[in-house]
Amino acid sequence: MTDTGVRFADVSISYRGGKGAATVQAVSGVDLAIAPGEFVSLVGPSGCGKSTLLRTLADLLTPTSGSVTIGGASPREMRLARKLGFVFQESALLEWRTIEDNVMLPLEIAGVAYAERRERARALIALVGIAGFERSFPRQLSGGMRQRASIARAMSTDPEVLLMDEPFGALDQITRDRLNLELLEISQRERMTVVFVTHSIAEAVLLSDRVVIMSPRPGRIRCILPIDLPRPRALSVRHEPRFAELAALGLAELEGGFV
Amino acid sequence: MALSSRAGVAWPPVLAFVVVVGAWEAIVRAYQVPSYLVPAPSAIWTALWFDNGSIFGQAAITTLEAVAGFAIGSLIGALVGIGCAYSLLLSRAILPYVIAANTIPVVGIAPIVILWFGSGIASKIAVTALLSFFPLAVNMMRGLQSYDRTVMDVFHIAAANGFQRFFKMRLPSALPYIFVGLKLNVSFAVVGAIVAEFVQADEGLGFVIMSAYKNLNMPRLWAAMAVTALIGIVLFAVVAIVERLVIPWHDSMRDPALTS
Repeated sequence: MTDTGVRFADVSISYRGGKGAATVQAVSGVDLAIAPGEFVSLVGPSGCGKSTLLRTLADLLTPTSGSVTIGGASPREMRLARKLGFVFQESALLEWRTIEDNVMLPLEIAGVAYAERRERARALIALVGIAGFERSFPRQLSGGMRQRASIARAMSTDPEVLLMDEPFGALDQITRDRLNLELLEISQRERMTVVFVTHSIAEAVLLSDRVVIMSPRPGRIRCILPIDLPRPRALSVRHEPRFAELAALGLAELEGGFV
Repeated sequence: MALSSRAGVAWPPVLAFVVVVGAWEAIVRAYQVPSYLVPAPSAIWTALWFDNGSIFGQAAITTLEAVAGFAIGSLIGALVGIGCAYSLLLSRAILPYVIAANTIPVVGIAPIVILWFGSGIASKIAVTALLSFFPLAVNMMRGLQSYDRTVMDVFHIAAANGFQRFFKMRLPSALPYIFVGLKLNVSFAVVGAIVAEFVQADEGLGFVIMSAYKNLNMPRLWAAMAVTALIGIVLFAVVAIVERLVIPWHDSMRDPALTS
């Protein structure tokens, strides 16, 4: 349970492309409010600034202008309070640590006692469906399993907001479907606020309460698509006419962004 | 399976050794090659065990110099490497001089060091330390800079402090580089100790080699050389075994028989 929402207020982000290069406007005038417990996807082509926006939430980037708040606090305060979880496209596990030790890393950094963090790690490893691999090393696991471990790690500090940057982008379609299903179940059960970045409209429609469609150069919000598919959802929701309708709508908007 | 394959790896070099030494002995005897040119393996063996003054006692001194110099040089190298990895200013200020200093031949530096530290064991350790400092400094710096940027982001989001980043991420990431540096250091350490003894010493294997040369006692010289090589091999093997224990997770350590 959480009461932490996210708010972008007139956020613009620009950066220099290199020494002497022109300033690149990555994101321009983004206004967006995400309700506590809401699952929101940011979708758009490369260069639309969706990952950039996500990185400002994690205090990995500071907006050039405008403000970003999470539950009324700054991303930096939220990060230092260890209330953020982040899943990257690469699993970014430490190859010299077992899966269990990887999952408990954020708790270890936070100074949580060994017995407690181990118990939490074991529960999360079971939650993401890789029980039995606690003592395995990352290189012994498949890409999908490593990404599951990465999700468990991001959830270890019991974050109020889970940020996911194309977490399944490097996986094959079958693995991706399975992880979508698991994420669907986890997010419905835990009711965290989730901000999810993806290239895939279908993935976004399946998982989200709202889909934010962005257009590139400079990155801005093109439209916001509320997903009124009933919850709890399963993968089979993709065969329903309403799903196809929403996906087609999103795709049309996405393609409209190129005109 | 593992045992038989290990034996399978071990026998070719043993066989090669037996063949070469056997042929060497046979040729020296058949053609009556003078011992000052190439002594027979049997003569070297005799010199090793029965000559006046134990070669092994001298070897212990050289080993002590090499190990102490290696430890001191590696420690200083590690600290310089850490400093350079964390401070761009420091690395820009001192790296050019470190590289320049490394090009000075040790034979040129050894007399100065002996002047400073005396003709005893301390000066040999100092020369060895000087020689086995550079590889770890450079590899430590490169290793500490070789971490995965996304993993650094993970630590950032976990609000890790500098010590946690160093000990839980940057240092473990650097370990494969550190062992490259340590293996180079340990090879240079034996060279450093021997060369320093060449310049001025009254004990150690370098001294044995020089005095055997002056007396044209070639079997003794060859025996001392063989022991020098053995010290180098053993010290290198020790570092390699420690590496295997410390970073079994690394690609270079992966045993195909275990993972497949």
